[in-house]
Amino acid sequence: MTNKERYKQAFSALHPSGRLSWEVEEMAMIQKKHKTNMAVAAAIACAVIIGGSGTVYAADIGGIQEKLSLWLYGEKTQVDVTENSGGGGYTFTYEHDGETEMVGGGGVSIGEDGTETWLSAGEVAESINKSAYVRADEEGRVWVYYYDQKSDITELFQENRCLISLSHDDQPIYLEIIREEDGFYSCSQTNKLEQDIESYIFVPAE
Amino acid sequence: MKQSVQELVALYRNNLFAAAFNVCKNAQDAEDIVQDTFLQYYTTKNKFESEQHIRAWLIRVAINKAKNVNHTFWKRNKVSLEEYMETLTFETPESENLFETVMRLPEKYRIVIHLFYYEDYSVREMADILHLSESNIKVRLSRGRRLLRETLKEEWNDDK
Repeated sequence: MTNKERYKQAFSALHPSGRLSWEVEEMAMIQKKHKTNMAVAAAIACAVIIGGSGTVYAADIGGIQEKLSLWLYGEKTQVDVTENSGGGGYTFTYEHDGETEMVGGGGVSIGEDGTETWLSAGEVAESINKSAYVRADEEGRVWVYYYDQKSDITELFQENRCLISLSHDDQPIYLEIIREEDGFYSCSQTNKLEQDIESYIFVPAE
Repeated sequence: MKQSVQELVALYRNNLFAAAFNVCKNAQDAEDIVQDTFLQYYTTKNKFESEQHIRAWLIRVAINKAKNVNHTFWKRNKVSLEEYMETLTFETPESENLFETVMRLPEKYRIVIHLFYYEDYSVREMADILHLSESNIKVRLSRGRRLLRETLKEEWNDDK
């Protein structure tokens, strides 16, 4: 048996569930409903974002935000902004190591009177900037990125868990990073800790 | 040319699902991606030269949407790969082992391996679909194969 035959046999186990409809009109309705649900979830996730601090630059071209800057991999990066079809979110496209990569998000802000307003691309970008994230490189080194900070935290893991603190604009942020079974990293972040501060290793900017 | 969505669904839904799942590792997300990809085809004003052009376009769009899901900062509660694999029926234990090994490869190697071994694309065609250089594709294919060989040993031939 050739490798191609082996591979095709293995992946023939994969197929979409029978619950899906493939009629165009029904697919459109399902996707619309799904996007609405995602927007509701995002409203909760992004409810704290009411008014940005202006650190995101957004060029308003013809009334449509087409380009802005994001902190990605420790560097300020120019990204192209695309509003997702159906509204409620944006996709930011950029070049990294010769590849086109994307990051996205969306949501609503909730005013004092309860009114909901879709977040602008700049506000979504601001929330992305405020979120630290972790990636492993090709050599298996693990890096944390936050604004212009890029730090190697490979050696700071203990049994797939790593507690670190960073400093940005003289404000501390505390990160709990978990190496998941599938090799991805989840990262929870807070600016205030009630206890166990001594468990967090301070990682200075390199 | 433009084929009907229903024709394309019949031809490619499993392929798009496999490609999307290969990137995002989540069946629900992959199903959404497949539907969204067909809807995008339905509404696109692109003119396609051939059936192969349409197929490559669909796969590229599905892969990009799956990458987008991976990089979005909101995520649904996900079924783990292990849990999902328990719902799949593999013909042999070797197939299950191969599937699991591929899914544990880094994303950049995984998708190239998939396009080569499942979709039968050439290096040049993969370069077009993924917007990468041919040399970059060759490096990824080579490294992906090496990782598969290291893990699967005699269950994977040492093909060049």
